[in-house]
Amino acid sequence: MTLEQQIERFAKTTPDKAAVITGNETLSYSSLWGRVQEEALRLGLKEGQPHVFVATQDTDFIVTYLAVHVCGAVAVPLEASTPKERQQQIRDEVNLQSSIFNVSDILYTTGTTGKAKGVMISSRAWTANAENLIDRLGFTSDLLFIICGPLNHLGSLSKIYPTLMTGATLYILESLKDMNAFFSVFELPFQKFATFLVPSSIRMLLQVASKDLAAVASKIDFIETGAAAISQSDMESLCRILPSSRLFNTYASTETGIVCSYEYSKYGCEPGLLGKPMKHSSVRIDEDGRVICSGLTIMSGYVGAPELTADVLRDGEVFTSDIGILDGQGMLHLKGRQDDVINVGGYKVNPAEVEDAVNGFEPIADCICIPARHILLGTVPKLLYVPKQGHEVRPKDIAGFLRGHLENYKIPLLYEAVDAIRHTYNGKLDRKSYQKY
Amino acid sequence: MKEHIIELLSGALPMVNLESDFLFSELDSLGVTTILMLLSEEYGIQLEARDATPKNLKTIDSIVKMVEEKLAKE
Repeated sequence: MTLEQQIERFAKTTPDKAAVITGNETLSYSSLWGRVQEEALRLGLKEGQPHVFVATQDTDFIVTYLAVHVCGAVAVPLEASTPKERQQQIRDEVNLQSSIFNVSDILYTTGTTGKAKGVMISSRAWTANAENLIDRLGFTSDLLFIICGPLNHLGSLSKIYPTLMTGATLYILESLKDMNAFFSVFELPFQKFATFLVPSSIRMLLQVASKDLAAVASKIDFIETGAAAISQSDMESLCRILPSSRLFNTYASTETGIVCSYEYSKYGCEPGLLGKPMKHSSVRIDEDGRVICSGLTIMSGYVGAPELTADVLRDGEVFTSDIGILDGQGMLHLKGRQDDVINVGGYKVNPAEVEDAVNGFEPIADCICIPARHILLGTVPKLLYVPKQGHEVRPKDIAGFLRGHLENYKIPLLYEAVDAIRHTYNGKLDRKSYQKY
Repeated sequence: MKEHIIELLSGALPMVNLESDFLFSELDSLGVTTILMLLSEEYGIQLEARDATPKNLKTIDSIVKMVEEKLAKE
């Protein structure tokens, strides 16, 4: 049964139960379903027609997202900070495909290969993702699940499914920025709370809100993390503060879907350990140590990019750029990545895309974008740049320029003016020489 | 103090316009946490999530006021 069919069912069986709550609005299952039907009529989309819209963190997003599916059309939610020019490029790209069948969503991501592209996800894959999560994490109808990450991203978007498919309640926050708003959710009359937090959000809460977290410990059923590596010390700290909560570390990507999850609060904290594949998923490792995933959750391909699809999706298997091992118990341990992509709190940043944008800034002569350590985010992009002679360039100037050209998460947080950038003999950026920068 | 805080924060948050009258809306969760951590360390005070209200982080002047009040209490 699809998500929309389940919501229609709950609209009849538990019509008054809260389905989606935001800071200023509560939609019951019956009112949610009513609004979805109205919006589907208003949109009037054809089957397989792509519908591009910005992912806002509110009930309007949920209504539009579901309404697109009710029409049989394809939802293409975009990151809110996507520059207008880029939004238009994406509209043009998906509109080239007059209709896309057996696809429910297209999620734009840097993802496995490092270039921004649209990952096509079928309704069947979403249902399998939801069943993986319901089975491993234990979603139940009495749960209030808090979403505080962007809804165009797999990490948060995927939680709509198990929450609403089990008749539970979703609480949507704009972000974790207003931590007081996050903690005030726990005052609502629910027995069990759960959330998904990327490792950097966990680090932030541990740094400035550990007392507040401890105060709501007894109410937290589970916290899932994923999308980036979480440190052993943060896992251990969270286990101490939340002794009765179930804490999971999940392996997922837009291309593979949600594949493995490991309950480190029960079985022990070990960095990179992501557990066994879930019920609809399989994992194998090739001779180069590359993680290869298959099963019902995997993508249908990249929109308008058959060659790229053939490179990553072969015979029903997604070849990721992650390097890992499977232990004797069949549990996945991640060891790193094969490519230059920088993972910033779960967002993948292709350094070449950043450099291309910076090279469009007139006062810059040369630059390279490299990964660097950051106390909260783990790894962030750092820009080393050479100003043109006679120009004084401040980091603020570069960041301001990039704002109109890149999504916010791709803009470097750290900057350093240098005399020269190292290149290889054939003129390419010498990335290897900056690995230990 | 105001100039020192601007200098301190502008290095860590190059994307943020610290002179904005709507500073809180310019910040993301990383920005909020960075401000709390940097100012706690610099001034030997304990700023926590509950201090990060939209009112306290509305402008650079309200941030200065928050730090001054913490210093007076501790």
